[in-house]
Amino acid sequence: MKAAQARALTLGATVAWAIPVGLAGYLAVRGIDGHGWSQFAGFLPELLTPGVCVVAGWLVVRRVPTSPTGPALAWTGGCVSLALALDVFTLTGLYDAAPGERSIAAAAPGLWTLDLLGLLVLLLVFPDGLRQGRVWRMVVPVYAVATLLLVVALWGTRKAGERLEGGPTSGPRVVLLGIGLALVAACLVAAVLSLVLRYRSGDEVLRLRVRWLMLAGAGIVALLAAGWVLAIGFDTSMDLAYGPALIGIVILVPTAVAVAIIHYDLFDVDRLLSQSAAWTVTVVASAVVFGLVVLGVSEVFSRSSGLDLTAAAFVTALVLLPLHRHVSTAVARLVDRDRFVALAEVERFAADVRAGRRAPEEVEAVLRDAHADPGLRLFLAEGEGWVDLSGNTCKEPDGVTLTFGGDAIARIWSAKDSARARRRLAELARAAAVPVEVCRLRLGLLAGRARLIEATVAERRRLERDLHDGAQQRLIATGMRLRRLQGGLDAARSAEVDVAVAELEGTVAELRALAHGVRPSRLDDGLVPALQAMRASTPIPMDLDVGPLPDLDEVQLLSAYLVVTEAVTNSLKHARATHVGVRVADRNGRLCVEVSDDGIGDAPVVTALTALRDRVESVGGTVTISSPSGGGTTVEAVL
Amino acid sequence: MRVVVGEDSMLFREGLVRLLADAGHEVVAAVGDAASMEERVANLRPDLVIADIRMPPELESDGARAAARIRDTSPEVGILLLSQHIELRDCLNMVGTPGFGYLLKDRVLQLAEFDDALRRVADGGSAIDPEIIRSLVTARQSSALEVLSPREVEVLALVAEGHSNASIARRLFLSERTVMAHMRSVFTKLGLVEDGATHRRVLAVVTFLGAQPDTPTARAPIDHPGCARSSGRTGVPGP
Repeated sequence: MKAAQARALTLGATVAWAIPVGLAGYLAVRGIDGHGWSQFAGFLPELLTPGVCVVAGWLVVRRVPTSPTGPALAWTGGCVSLALALDVFTLTGLYDAAPGERSIAAAAPGLWTLDLLGLLVLLLVFPDGLRQGRVWRMVVPVYAVATLLLVVALWGTRKAGERLEGGPTSGPRVVLLGIGLALVAACLVAAVLSLVLRYRSGDEVLRLRVRWLMLAGAGIVALLAAGWVLAIGFDTSMDLAYGPALIGIVILVPTAVAVAIIHYDLFDVDRLLSQSAAWTVTVVASAVVFGLVVLGVSEVFSRSSGLDLTAAAFVTALVLLPLHRHVSTAVARLVDRDRFVALAEVERFAADVRAGRRAPEEVEAVLRDAHADPGLRLFLAEGEGWVDLSGNTCKEPDGVTLTFGGDAIARIWSAKDSARARRRLAELARAAAVPVEVCRLRLGLLAGRARLIEATVAERRRLERDLHDGAQQRLIATGMRLRRLQGGLDAARSAEVDVAVAELEGTVAELRALAHGVRPSRLDDGLVPALQAMRASTPIPMDLDVGPLPDLDEVQLLSAYLVVTEAVTNSLKHARATHVGVRVADRNGRLCVEVSDDGIGDAPVVTALTALRDRVESVGGTVTISSPSGGGTTVEAVL
Repeated sequence: MRVVVGEDSMLFREGLVRLLADAGHEVVAAVGDAASMEERVANLRPDLVIADIRMPPELESDGARAAARIRDTSPEVGILLLSQHIELRDCLNMVGTPGFGYLLKDRVLQLAEFDDALRRVADGGSAIDPEIIRSLVTARQSSALEVLSPREVEVLALVAEGHSNASIARRLFLSERTVMAHMRSVFTKLGLVEDGATHRRVLAVVTFLGAQPDTPTARAPIDHPGCARSSGRTGVPGP
């Protein structure tokens, strides 16, 4: 639709709405032929309300000038206004005033279909124009034909209060009336069908837009149900009972349509829809329960008393909450299936993590699956920066932030970037908050321990260097000085110097042994020479079996060495072993160290070698200890 | 003997220079980093270079690497590496080859022994620290060395350290003839070929003991860069 066309149509609707309002206002102020202020002024609110449609129509036209929804929306109000104006004409007898008006009044009872014309067109074109196909183009002409049939059938009928007088009683006019009503119903069904088909074949945005309209529909049904309860339960007047529903139609529909076109991402419509639908069903079901109890109690006691209402109120209150809970679940599953399934998956995962059935580290995979985005990335807050699940540092990522106890603990990035997708993701993230926080804490613990170990390793290295390059050097230099002095001394003093130098040599050897304990300098030659040196100093036979090894960093090197030292020491001290075997191999890029002995076994598997276990696990490795009684002990560490 | 000293600790360097001077050696250069050491050796052609293993610029085994390069460019220069601890990286394939020595720094304090080692290395012999030999011997003791008597093991260790028969005899309070008898016995038991030249038997023994970690079971001298070069060395007087 062209923008100018849309504007002209909307302007027409505005005029159609404004003329009756202006007229009624004019008449209310001036009064005419004994019809006073009160009579016309009473119509004003009803005439003004469709203005909401017109305003909403203009809003849509402004924002989306080529959409047919704007004019259709405006005409939804315009048509209601025109129909009302006809009512005003007939009810106040104004048509008596001018001769030309008589035929309009005669036709008026059949023209009630005008009320729904705007809505019909709106349903047909919302949100992006008439559907392809002859059937849909035929709906409005058929509706016109039906209106014509109704006008003929009801010609000359007069409304008196809420009843029709002088309507058709027999003959062809009844047949015409029947056909006309059937056609009107068919057109309405077709319009709704058009919307349903559109929803089913539409894309994500279109569905969202249609959902807004569905939301308004659910609201209207809820209001009608509430009105029904008021009417049968409390004998409220029809106007009070159903008035809100009617006003709701004129206000809720245009608001929903305008939002759907202009800002379909405004709120979480899925959730609103699901919840309002759930409440609608709950209200209707409660009303049924209420009615049944009232009926049952008054049957049993065969008289009307306060008892039936009290009992009904009591029973309804009793069933309301459980009913609503079940209905919510059922409706959510039905109306908003995607969200329900995704959320249920994440919640099940969180429950599994709590029960210890699954590892919290799977959370990223679960979120990817639930959000249907295999590219989704989970980043955890670590100190001032961000890390991924493997602990690698990342620069500040974009995405949905997850907070836990007021602190941002994670950020989730997804390629799905619409406001709705982000909202959905935030909801999923909240459901997964506990596993995410557990991941973060575990990672933080590991990182902290790894930093500590790294610092310890660096410190050991520094200490070893200091001992070698500092103290040892000075002692030897002092020794050299003594040796030079020795040249000029007599035999007795020279012997003294020999003793002093021997002392120095002993001290240097001690320092060397000390530095070796801190960090064996043979590690500079690699793990294998260091282990060979260890074998040389081990009092029992030690088999050393070394395969090709991956490249090792300082931490791995020292860790592997200390694992062997500690395990071998353990074999010597506690296991009464006579032989020990050390095997070092590359296992899929990881370093595998295995120390086995032929000792008495029976090592306390959980508590044994705690320091060793801590050391290995803090650098991301694993330790397995097997020690059957009498069967020797095997310690296996994978780094 | 003309000596170049490479040692980054000033205290130790000065002490060493004085001790060498006292012993009658001529220290032609004393420097504190590996690069200047290489350069001085190339220019001054000394009989011996004494190098600390850890030296600037990287404070890793720069000294050992520089020594390996000197061995390539000036094979006639004897090399003695000094270290605070045993660290064979970057010099492993020189261990046992003629004209190479490796001692812990505190050996300097035993003046006579140290001087003996200097002369051996400068003369194309070998001087390997007893600490290294002990660890090699202990490592092999459980298997291959079982066939030897304790005395034979002692002789073997001293051979590996680079001592001559005379020196071994003096240390063990044996006659030189007895030492030679032990030697023959050791070589026969281990299946090594004895050809009389001290520098070659050192290499044979060291290789047998498995200084090279990747080939702990190698029985005969294997692919050993030092071997090929040793035959190319000229002007090396026999011990």
